[in-house]
Amino acid sequence: MIKHHPKLELLQSFVDGDLPASLAAGIAIHADMCAFCQQKIGHLTEQVAEASFEQDLSPKSAVIDISPEISAMSFDEIIDQITASNDVEPAAVVHEERLITFKGMEYTLPNTLRNMELGKTAQIGKLSRARLNLGEGEIHTNLLHIGPGGSIPEHTHKGFELTLLLAGTFADEQGEYVAGDFIMLDKRHQHQPATEHGCLCYTVANDALHFTQGINKLLNPIGAFIY
Amino acid sequence: MQLVHSELPSHRTDATSSIMTYATSSNMTNKIDHPQLCQWLKSIAVDRDKQAFTEVFSFFAPKIKRIAQSKINSEALAAEVVQDTMSNVWRKAHLFDDSKGAATTWVYTIMRNVTFDLLRKMKANKEDNLSDDIWPLAESLNTEEEVFSDHIQSRNLQGIIDTLPENQQQVVKGFYFMEMSQEQLAVHLDLPLGTIKSRLRLALGKLKLKLGDHHD
Repeated sequence: MIKHHPKLELLQSFVDGDLPASLAAGIAIHADMCAFCQQKIGHLTEQVAEASFEQDLSPKSAVIDISPEISAMSFDEIIDQITASNDVEPAAVVHEERLITFKGMEYTLPNTLRNMELGKTAQIGKLSRARLNLGEGEIHTNLLHIGPGGSIPEHTHKGFELTLLLAGTFADEQGEYVAGDFIMLDKRHQHQPATEHGCLCYTVANDALHFTQGINKLLNPIGAFIY
Repeated sequence: MQLVHSELPSHRTDATSSIMTYATSSNMTNKIDHPQLCQWLKSIAVDRDKQAFTEVFSFFAPKIKRIAQSKINSEALAAEVVQDTMSNVWRKAHLFDDSKGAATTWVYTIMRNVTFDLLRKMKANKEDNLSDDIWPLAESLNTEEEVFSDHIQSRNLQGIIDTLPENQQQVVKGFYFMEMSQEQLAVHLDLPLGTIKSRLRLALGKLKLKLGDHHD
């Protein structure tokens, strides 16, 4: 059962459209697997929609905008322009499944990720990483595959790190995680995830991982690799 | 925002503070007429009703513009959000399903998605339009049948499709009945994707004409 969910504030920002695509996609994927959060998102969306369109042009806001014009065009002109088009969105949008293979294991990507630009897969030992090129600067988004018996050396984060388990299971000091678990860590946390049968994760991090233990410091390239 | 949702007494005394008066009056004048909005969207979907669209436009456009302006801080881009959002409403009204939620929620989703893609284009310099993947407007596969039987007289449909030229029939049947994507069809029929798209567009144009005849 999924035990780890996004916090309410994160869901609210998601609904408001204020999160970067990387995090918004993470929440969307989680919600597809989690009826509980799906429902919360539904309520929040309803509320924000109602609030957005309930406010009328009150005397205060009238100063900002009451003129029935948008840029150089009047409302009437825009209406004419829009309704002149006879295009109708096809009702059926059927999408092909997008597959990805790591070390001979094939996975179906969540629909949310189907149009994202995927970089080449890089590997170190049991770790494989394919970058999702979202162009969000210091926020990096990856598909991270850990082969059976693999683990990531103990590390902390300088920024935040989202790990969303897409398939398989892994465990750390906190316990076992299953597909759909949405694990948001920040610099206060340390963890050392290990997987018995292999797993695929969607990860979003905004700073390189920081390795904490002796010899592992030598492995710092892995930090940069995962990030 | 909270004031709007809290339950205010319906009769107020003159002693009410001006703030409360303001909240009450805006509450009364701005009560959203949800059934009416749904009705307009339905008229747009079924009859391509321009008057209904004008009503919907007048209700949403000024609010969308103001919200977009506060988010993007540019009047020109806010205008773009209004145009894109409302043109989506025109093109997608048949995808609105009032059993799944309010019209305001549906339009909000479109507006939020349009804004998100626009901001992403500005900030990340990406034109990947991811919003519809992150916040899908319609869960297409489950609702597909319903949408079909609601808006097109499926009993006549097969007959009308059979009147299309053979090459357009293939595409329409593959796309709508066999649930193949345009890309899959291109591979399957060994044709360029552009050809598939233009055949589908041609076929839909003809179908619309013919189905329209039956309506009139």
